[in-house]
Amino acid sequence: MASIVRPAVLRQTCLATASKRTFSTKLSASFPAINKPATSVLSRPAVRNAFVKDALPSAVRVAAFHASGRQAILPPLPQVIDGTANDAAPVPPPSPSHGSYHWTFERLISAGLIPLTIAPFAAGSLNPTTDAILCAAILIHSHIGFESIVIDYIPTKRLPKTRVLFWWGLRLATVVVGVGLYEFETNDVGVTEAIKRIWHA
Amino acid sequence: MAARLTTRAFTGLRPSLRMQAPLSLGLRSMASVASTPSEEPQPKTKIFHIYRWNPDEPASKPRMQTYTLDLNKTGPMMLDALIRIKNEVDPTLTFRRSCREGICGSCAMNIDGVNTLACLCRIPTDTTKETKIYPLPHTYVVKDIVPDLTQFYKQYKSIKPYLQHSTPAPNGKEYLQSKEERKKLDGLYECILCACCSTSCPSYWWNSEEYLGPAVLLQSYRWLADSRDEKKEERKAALDNSMSLYRCHTILNCSRTCPKGLNPGLAIAEIKKEMAF
Repeated sequence: MASIVRPAVLRQTCLATASKRTFSTKLSASFPAINKPATSVLSRPAVRNAFVKDALPSAVRVAAFHASGRQAILPPLPQVIDGTANDAAPVPPPSPSHGSYHWTFERLISAGLIPLTIAPFAAGSLNPTTDAILCAAILIHSHIGFESIVIDYIPTKRLPKTRVLFWWGLRLATVVVGVGLYEFETNDVGVTEAIKRIWHA
Repeated sequence: MAARLTTRAFTGLRPSLRMQAPLSLGLRSMASVASTPSEEPQPKTKIFHIYRWNPDEPASKPRMQTYTLDLNKTGPMMLDALIRIKNEVDPTLTFRRSCREGICGSCAMNIDGVNTLACLCRIPTDTTKETKIYPLPHTYVVKDIVPDLTQFYKQYKSIKPYLQHSTPAPNGKEYLQSKEERKKLDGLYECILCACCSTSCPSYWWNSEEYLGPAVLLQSYRWLADSRDEKKEERKAALDNSMSLYRCHTILNCSRTCPKGLNPGLAIAEIKKEMAF
């Protein structure tokens, strides 16, 4: 887990392993600190037979490759402490429409999707109204889900403009999908029937 | 090179050790010879890779340093190994420790990929597997395996972790609680704020500035569940926004990693339920 969340550290470890065993000239020039033999009893000499390179486990090479890129997206910034270390962290103003009401609504939609999904297949009949309700619920459910992703990964403080861009992009996408589903329901066979046909195809 | 550095640190920092070392070594070998003259136990050497970073050399990158210990001469826990490395191999190794019995929460670190307390984590006896020790993930590192927990403590302070009670007690002495009411606090009050759960939570990694994280939310619920507290509505209002509480997506790394066996995920779910209806 730690190695995944710390690509820099993983990179160090992998490069250290690689440089210890193989092509050392370039790496030892660029990473002098790593190439120092550790205090361990097992520390090996830095320069070794070039054929040892082939014995390097592929997993290590793959990990080194994936961890060798610089993290270009949101690299961690230097630590900033608001106020002094003894001040409490600021408490945001209450807004239930983004907090408890939002959560309750989201859970009701999620729970409602289960019977809505099963109903048309269990009943064996196709009802345009149930179909429409199912479509609307899926649309709202996925909108809330994507909204959550935007909130999680695009912090307002750091990327205010990107946040707004993604916010409106998501709303646009939801409207487009909504219109598409409406067209599909009114002018074509509808979601349930489509799934049924694909299933039996 | 590193070995020479270590020797220099040894001699430079603690000259008294030089005097004591031969004496104590001599005593130990004499003792072992006296007790078991014939059968010397097979040495069980285990390799430890430990994250090192020195703030005095900010230009040099963090690295993994390798230590080898004989498990026969080491205590059973990871903290014993760390203390032995610091005492006998490398005095520059820096880590926090205090109670060595899982009640202070100082020695929280990432051992073999799991956040845990070094003092409660047994050294796996399988000597073929090498152990890796990192600081708590996604924390700013002060030195080696010492993380900076300033933000964590600031957030803890923001939830007002104390009894808020304005009306005087009916008996004029103390606020009484029934046994059932007290029982609700079991599994909550035991938290030692070691930050293992918060730093294992991906949501907390991405949004530690605004999301409170499992440890602080567990404490928040500890005061919400307390029958004597009179500021429940204020406490709930402080959590009622999109960031403080609702960044929890029930990943449950918190409950999985807690070295005290608590369940922060359940506490957060209880807060959500209380606030929903």
